[in-house]
Amino acid sequence: MNKLLTLGIVVGTMSVAACVNLDRSRTLGNPSVSGSVLAIQVCSNCHGVDGNSTSPAIPRLAGQQATYIVNQMKTFRGHERSDPAGQESMWGISRHLTDQQITDLAAYFSKQKAQPNPSADTPQLIAQGKEIFENGIPDQNVIACSACHGPTAQGIEAFPRLANQHADYIVKQLNVFQNTQGRPGTPMEAVTHPLTGAHKAAVAAYLQNFPN
Amino acid sequence: MYSVLKGCGKTAAKLVAIALPVLVASYAPDTLAIPAFARQTGQNCVACHAGGQFPELTPYGRLFKLTGYTIGERNIPISAMAVVTDTMVRSRNDPNPGGFAKGDFPAQNGTPIFNTASIFLAGKVTDNIGGFAQWTVNQYDHLDGGGNWQSNTVSDNADIRYVDRFINANNDVIVGLTFNNNPSVQDVWNSAPAWGFDLVPGSNPAGFPAKPQLGGALAQQVVGLGAYAYWNKTVYAELSVYRTADKFWSFMSQGFDSTDGTRSRLVNNTPYARIALTKEWGAHNFMVGAMAMAPEVYNDPTQPPGSPTTKYRDIGIDAQYQYILDPHTVTAQFSYINERIHYDPSVAGMPGAYDSLMGTASQPLTNTTDRLNLFRAKASYVYRAKYGGSLSYYNLSGSYNSLNQMGIPGDLTAGGLNNSVSSNVTGKPDTVAWIPEVFWIPVQNARVGMQYSMFTKYQGAKNNYDGWGRNAKDNDALFLYVWGAY
Ligand code: HEC
Ligand code: HEC
Repeated sequence: MNKLLTLGIVVGTMSVAACVNLDRSRTLGNPSVSGSVLAIQVCSNCHGVDGNSTSPAIPRLAGQQATYIVNQMKTFRGHERSDPAGQESMWGISRHLTDQQITDLAAYFSKQKAQPNPSADTPQLIAQGKEIFENGIPDQNVIACSACHGPTAQGIEAFPRLANQHADYIVKQLNVFQNTQGRPGTPMEAVTHPLTGAHKAAVAAYLQNFPN
Repeated sequence: MYSVLKGCGKTAAKLVAIALPVLVASYAPDTLAIPAFARQTGQNCVACHAGGQFPELTPYGRLFKLTGYTIGERNIPISAMAVVTDTMVRSRNDPNPGGFAKGDFPAQNGTPIFNTASIFLAGKVTDNIGGFAQWTVNQYDHLDGGGNWQSNTVSDNADIRYVDRFINANNDVIVGLTFNNNPSVQDVWNSAPAWGFDLVPGSNPAGFPAKPQLGGALAQQVVGLGAYAYWNKTVYAELSVYRTADKFWSFMSQGFDSTDGTRSRLVNNTPYARIALTKEWGAHNFMVGAMAMAPEVYNDPTQPPGSPTTKYRDIGIDAQYQYILDPHTVTAQFSYINERIHYDPSVAGMPGAYDSLMGTASQPLTNTTDRLNLFRAKASYVYRAKYGGSLSYYNLSGSYNSLNQMGIPGDLTAGGLNNSVSSNVTGKPDTVAWIPEVFWIPVQNARVGMQYSMFTKYQGAKNNYDGWGRNAKDNDALFLYVWGAY
């Protein structure tokens, strides 16, 4: 028991000595850790230090609209965005972030440069996707995505950037909008209504391979 | 297989009866395989565990560990774990009259038991310090003289770290110190011996006949301090030094007793080196690595310095592949450990196990050196982090040594002092097993599984490895488990 006590004292002393390290902290409940430190120490583990995540399971944030990032972080924090992957990975991360930290995190990722994200999709599929994105399919009530996400898919304000996003993530989100209440109260519910699996796959392939 | 499956329905019902409370206790939707860590980050187990199959780590789980368990907020640092199991071995028949027949092998064969329970102290301490320490009660630790099971409370794995990370757009270096009690418990890849295979207690009742030093032989008997660096998520390098967990450090090896000779005693501080190369692309990631350690261990841990020792030289290579993209998780691990054993001249070249007992001269003298090779591989698949299966392969081989040959064909008397299960007439450790498993993860912090161990060779032979007619396949076992953590 004495030994445990000694060890406790040693660890305790070390802890106090090294208690806060604001420049390289991974603490999520402390308002004095800046958003940019959290971005590189915590978010980078999944989203990449430059926001160009490697895994298609994790969305890219590079060049994403700051307003959009802020909105998403707040809806994760408030649990309005409740699709399973968001819940599993982002509810906890965002639970005690301050508005200021969220603003800084958004600024950090929106300033990063989106890298190309080539996939093995066929040129035909990509061309179909381009057609949907730019012109929609009027006789099937599919609206042109570019109307809101912008002609170069860069997004604006609350409309997210989609260019170079992982196709797998795009399809997953289109399904969330179409079939669930995981991301309520957005125009995407109506937009996705007429979309078929083939439409989703095509437009996602086009967006992932978006010409820079 | 049939004899094993017989009576399975009844025991399955009993298993459910015992396991249900564990499941219910672990069903708390907002809690989460060390749930204290999940509470600390607020994330779900699947963020860190591949397909939810704890303890296997995802790329993020590895970074969480490498950065010293410091992501998140300080929280109540306590977790608990319980394992309920039911083992049914194919044949308990011990043809050896002096053997194990009356022993309870395996513990409560065919009856569900509350096998082990653990308590974890786990979590972030400061921005740079975090760790975990586990204590486990083994309810069926050993049989006492009267043939009753005794429980034992042991220090289980522990890993405490001090870490810093220097990262910017061009460079990323994680540097850390780890203090732990099991060579490779600090590893973040599940091809490493401490985390790769046989993780559910009781899964293999007959046991594997020998363990390389790097393959778990020193687990919880040593303490080590290591320094490591992980550079640009590409190269991991670590150098640690281990010593016996005695004196001041004995709280890290609780449950082993140096006075009765169960805890290995190392001669000096022993270095352990580890290197790994990693790559991630798309939903795939891959690692290939190597590790080495050369411990010198007292033959009798109760004897003073200067007494005979055995020198080991262990080299391991391992690799891991993972594909993780909803709804699929595919993982594969491979590990190969090669061990050279060098005996003290004072104990080498002696009569073999049989001869020394019988006073005969029928065996070659014991070896001055031995080698041991352990090859293991495992592949697993999990669907929607809920339904999964795995297939493992185990292959142990090594040199012949009359030291281990307890009986000789034709006269079994000496081998007769041992029970059939562990008796060896071949003098070789060679053992081969296939282990398929299916499991279900009903809630993220509980797993229910069934596995079958199939031995095609045991202690050097397919048939009659003990000299009394016990065959390798008699050790086949069906194993059911419920593993919950809170
Ligand atoms: C464990 C990995 C992980 C960590 C760490 C993580 N994220 Fe996420 N993040 C995800 C996943 C997975 C999603 C996708 C969720 C979904 O499908 O709804 C996501 C989604 C997001 C989104 C929504 C993106 C979009 O296009 O709608 C934002 C914004 C975000 N994360 C920001 C952050 C920030 C800021 C941090 C650090 C404070 C962070 N994440 C840390 C895994 C992570
Ligand atoms: C009427 C405007 C509008 C149109 C048209 C529109 N979108 Fe959207 N889209 C939005 C808004 C607004 C959001 C952000 C929703 C939120 O805040 O949760 C969004 C979000 C998305 C997202 C989620 C992005 C992310 O990072 O999680 C995807 C994917 C998407 N849209 C694809 C499409 C596609 C494909 C089309 C064309 C078929 C399309 N959108 C057409 C307004 C629109």
